[in-house]
Amino acid sequence: MNAVIEARGLSKVFHTTVRRPGLGGALRSLVSPERVAKVAVRDVDFRVGKGELLALLGPNGAGKSTTIKMLTGILTPTSGEALVAGVVPHRDRERNAHNIGAVFGQRTQLWWDLPARESFAILRDIYGVPEDRYRERIAEFDGLLELSEFWDTRVRHLSLGQRVRCDLAASLLHDPPVVFLDEPTIGMDVVVKEQVRRFLRHQVEERERTVLLTTHDMTEVARLAERVVLINHGRIVLDGPLQEIRRRFGGTWQIRATLADAADLQEIERQERFAVGDGSCGSDGSGQGRGSVRGDRPDGSAGPGGSAGPGGPFGGQRDLSSLPGFAGIGVLRREGPRVVFGPVGDGAPSVHEALKVVIGRFQVTDLALEENDLEDVMRSAYLSDVPGQGALAPEGSSSSPSSFSSPSSDPSAPSDPSASSDSSSSAAVTSTSQGG
Amino acid sequence: MVPTPTPTPPPTRAPSSVPAPAPTPTPAVRLTLSRLRRIASVTPRGEFLAPPRMTATAVRLLVQVCLVVYLWRGLYANTESSAGLDETQAVGYAVLAVLAGRIRGLDRRAGRDTVIQHLHFGTIVYWYLRPMRPQRYYALRALGDQVYGFGWVLGGYVLCLAAGVVAPPASAEVAAVFAVSMLLGQLVLYYVMMLVDLLCFWTLRNEAALLILVFAQNLLSGVYAPLWYFPDWFITLSAFLPFQATLGVPLSIYVGRIGVGDAFGQMAVQGVWIVLLALLTRRLWDMAGCRVVAQGG
Repeated sequence: MNAVIEARGLSKVFHTTVRRPGLGGALRSLVSPERVAKVAVRDVDFRVGKGELLALLGPNGAGKSTTIKMLTGILTPTSGEALVAGVVPHRDRERNAHNIGAVFGQRTQLWWDLPARESFAILRDIYGVPEDRYRERIAEFDGLLELSEFWDTRVRHLSLGQRVRCDLAASLLHDPPVVFLDEPTIGMDVVVKEQVRRFLRHQVEERERTVLLTTHDMTEVARLAERVVLINHGRIVLDGPLQEIRRRFGGTWQIRATLADAADLQEIERQERFAVGDGSCGSDGSGQGRGSVRGDRPDGSAGPGGSAGPGGPFGGQRDLSSLPGFAGIGVLRREGPRVVFGPVGDGAPSVHEALKVVIGRFQVTDLALEENDLEDVMRSAYLSDVPGQGALAPEGSSSSPSSFSSPSSDPSAPSDPSASSDSSSSAAVTSTSQGG
Repeated sequence: MVPTPTPTPPPTRAPSSVPAPAPTPTPAVRLTLSRLRRIASVTPRGEFLAPPRMTATAVRLLVQVCLVVYLWRGLYANTESSAGLDETQAVGYAVLAVLAGRIRGLDRRAGRDTVIQHLHFGTIVYWYLRPMRPQRYYALRALGDQVYGFGWVLGGYVLCLAAGVVAPPASAEVAAVFAVSMLLGQLVLYYVMMLVDLLCFWTLRNEAALLILVFAQNLLSGVYAPLWYFPDWFITLSAFLPFQATLGVPLSIYVGRIGVGDAFGQMAVQGVWIVLLALLTRRLWDMAGCRVVAQGG
């Protein structure tokens, strides 16, 4: 993969002073302030190729925005290296500025008192965009984002959706090959969100821009991202296709079927006995149960009366892979003629593929499907304390597709995970004592 | 005589024998000028698009000038001279100080365009994402603000002259020296305001401290009252600070408190402050660039 964005061992440590409690403590802090290091990002490695859209996901305060700020050159990494379109961003900010566009959520770069179109003209001159190119791009952006309906309105009077659309256009006026979008659709209504998504898809597919996107909107992730990097406590937890997040963090499905034929039930029973005897129950032994069903409920929690099974919370599946076409499908639970099928192991099929197999093989009188939505999967991923940088490398990447490397340990770094950046939603910018 | 054949230049030299068309600077210059004009006109454009704001400015100036005139005339009602100044000089100084305060007293806060607001809202990051150094952008904005503010001052000055509130300069020489000193004073003011703005990178959560600093700047520069009404220790203190070089010196030249002969020494002091502040703010911009951190995601 020819990387356009490259992060190698990127780390950022903020130093802050801690005020001691009480009046005496405050006075002591004045005389000898206690300095504390907060690790916001640690050993982040990833690459993004040309024309690729990568979603950088993680809970609040995970280190996403700090990573983006290092890649845009706003922040200087404490260690490691960033390379964006061949430029080290913090060393050559002005050259880097020509290569990148950026939108930071609700922080507009437009001039509040001027109509949006005048802001575009100012940016055109700042970036030195030739007039003909400028007109072309404005026409293109207008076609996709319907800017002309409101671009003569002063920015202060624009709605959030209108303003962010203008911001998106403003960030691309100079035709940058790389675009950083930090929660661009936050607070937008669904119609505008969809319009923005179409715009982004167009920029990636037609203009071959490399886009690094952070968002908490899972629909956006599902619609846009080919690949995701999951970051938590400042470290990369997973880097791979969205499907891998589903597999790894309890993204699962269940098919509840009532079987009509007793012979089918006997067959399943036989397979179960075989599977248990074989010891194959889909768990990878790590307790994570990749691709396994975590309990009874689609959100991965064990429901009332749920069958955690003999193998622990993730070990209740009976593999049916010896049945033709049933690779990756197992039985989670069985009560009389009612059987609950679920995915087993790495190669589990999608719910639709599994459904086809089940109804093709068995006579079914009643059927119900359940599938985790992505938000449930992400919740599970955010709450899990999976350490280390998991590199589920996409096609063409140098890493092995199934390798999950351990984090490089840094004895000097604080072990407290809360030492990563804070989760405040305010947008204040301040000294290096602030996390972010 | 057979003329010596002129050796033909080798093919590789051919391009150099024909002078290459000199790169025409026009597009670059045009772009630079356009950029300068656009950035400098941000604040004035914002004001033109908000007529109520301009009306409010005009009313405020009118009220302030009237009050200042009545105040100083009242103070001089029972005396011919105070602190070595007669009424015309004192009123002229006070009115010019009110007008001059307009030069950089634009309401950028309403446009969410002060440095502290950019820092607070996190939009300062865009200053560091453009192919233009933040200090250059800041300078162009300040230039536009000061030129626009100067328009207001000029208009107000002409009206005050016509109304007889302000006396014209004593001579053309005084006017010329005043103009130069005022220009230098504006440069000092530009750097002092930049200094205050740059401090925001370190004192984001302490706006009160900044307000005190702005108040001190106005007080020590003689905006509120001419410095010679203050005690000696205060005048001595202010001599070691740059504030009086912003307005106190040029206005004193205008009203004749500082003679033309003494003015050059004062202007040299203004020049020294400009150099010192330029060096200091340059260093602070570099340091501020390392401290731009948006908190919260």
